[in-house]
Amino acid sequence: MKKKQIAIELKNITKRYVLHHEKPTFSEQIIRRSKKEEFVALDDVSLIIYKGESVGIIGPNGAGKTTLLKIIAGIATPTSGFVSVHGRVVSLIDLEAGFNPELTGEENIYLNGLVIGMRRKEIEKVFKKIVAFADIGKFIDAPLYTYSQGMKLRLGFSVAVHANPDILILDEGMAVGDEEFRGKSGERIKQFFNEGKTILIAMHWQEYLEKSCSCLLYMRGGEIEKITKTSLGSKL
Amino acid sequence: MTVKEIKARYKHAILGFLWIILNPLLQMLVIGFVFQFFLPVHVDNYFLFLFSGLLPWIFFSFTLSKCTPAIVYERSLIKKARFPREAIILSIVFSNVFHLLVSLALLLVVLLFVGKVSLLQLLLLPIAIIWITLLSSGLSLLATALNARFRDVNFFVQAVVPLWFYATPIVYTLDLIPQNLHALFYLNPMTAVIEAFRFALLGMPVTQVSLWLVSVAASLALCVLGWVVFQRESKYFDDWV
Repeated sequence: MKKKQIAIELKNITKRYVLHHEKPTFSEQIIRRSKKEEFVALDDVSLIIYKGESVGIIGPNGAGKTTLLKIIAGIATPTSGFVSVHGRVVSLIDLEAGFNPELTGEENIYLNGLVIGMRRKEIEKVFKKIVAFADIGKFIDAPLYTYSQGMKLRLGFSVAVHANPDILILDEGMAVGDEEFRGKSGERIKQFFNEGKTILIAMHWQEYLEKSCSCLLYMRGGEIEKITKTSLGSKL
Repeated sequence: MTVKEIKARYKHAILGFLWIILNPLLQMLVIGFVFQFFLPVHVDNYFLFLFSGLLPWIFFSFTLSKCTPAIVYERSLIKKARFPREAIILSIVFSNVFHLLVSLALLLVVLLFVGKVSLLQLLLLPIAIIWITLLSSGLSLLATALNARFRDVNFFVQAVVPLWFYATPIVYTLDLIPQNLHALFYLNPMTAVIEAFRFALLGMPVTQVSLWLVSVAASLALCVLGWVVFQRESKYFDDWV
């Protein structure tokens, strides 16, 4: 049997946040070194995810789901531990993130694409598809502040899925836009599943995860409680 | 991202690119009139003297004050994906370099018209531009990295930039300052940069060459410091914005 390739490897990841009760200021820092209150978001987490696996992450609010995803996406850096990620990661942690309200939809597509690591030529190639998928129509050369909330979300989703990621990270934001678009985006994500891409999804809808993921990861209080394989996973 | 910066800045300005020229021109007129009449500095052609110092200063102060809050303003980009964070800062720096080049080109046209340009000295102009770019980006990287953590750095920069203007020989010449204070003025890296621009454009001699070299070294050190601090801090920007 071919050896399975590792897509994501985490070793003893701990992430501590300093709790801000007020905005920290430089002058205060110099005058008195106040004791820092810390919050442990992830506590010594180790995890290996192989290529082609789809992992559903389940846990109550504050369990560390988003922190875990952010560390894998490279947005946050762990306080201690070792991360290695192979392939292009595209995260849908915050769909609207990365848009500039002053720029037009077209300019925003380029900006967003560049930020998630696409090349200019790549974006040019899929540009029409992005616009068509997001269904923005004639708004494409209007500044983004004229867009409705739904349009912005659709655009964000569309750019992300057309970036051809090796690893796709989703955080709750599956219910995007109206009924029609939700169907379309669900379809698209299913396609990713079928293409055997590595997918991580954090959400509360356990039923959906059980149906579509190869394994489930239960988190609580910054630790991984248990990992189970679903019926889909045991077939792999 | 530089294109984004230039476009975003002038998107809603009707005069568009004209502002690149108008802004320094207006400043020059106001300052020029004030200092011509109230504090006569003895330089021939004071307006050209002023303009050649004002252009690099405007570049420097605009870059610094724009970059300092940039990491906080662009928090949505920071939270979006992993990409080299310095791209945010460098895009601002380079769009300002572009503006500097446009206005310098216009100044050169005027200078050619007046007929006082020495080609040999002009060779120094690119070096001066690179120098001020390094200095500005180093300081901007430092300020913005600190501002991500401590928001009052932005207020500090806002307060210091106008004071800095008067601590730099832009509206006056160093000759007006007592000799023994010159070393103090060269602690300010902008002093030497402005003098470099003046030498390249107007052929004005550098007041003290040895101190000038110290200033070059100080600018390079600042640049390295800014880069190192930014690299160290940028990993944790997500925690702070």
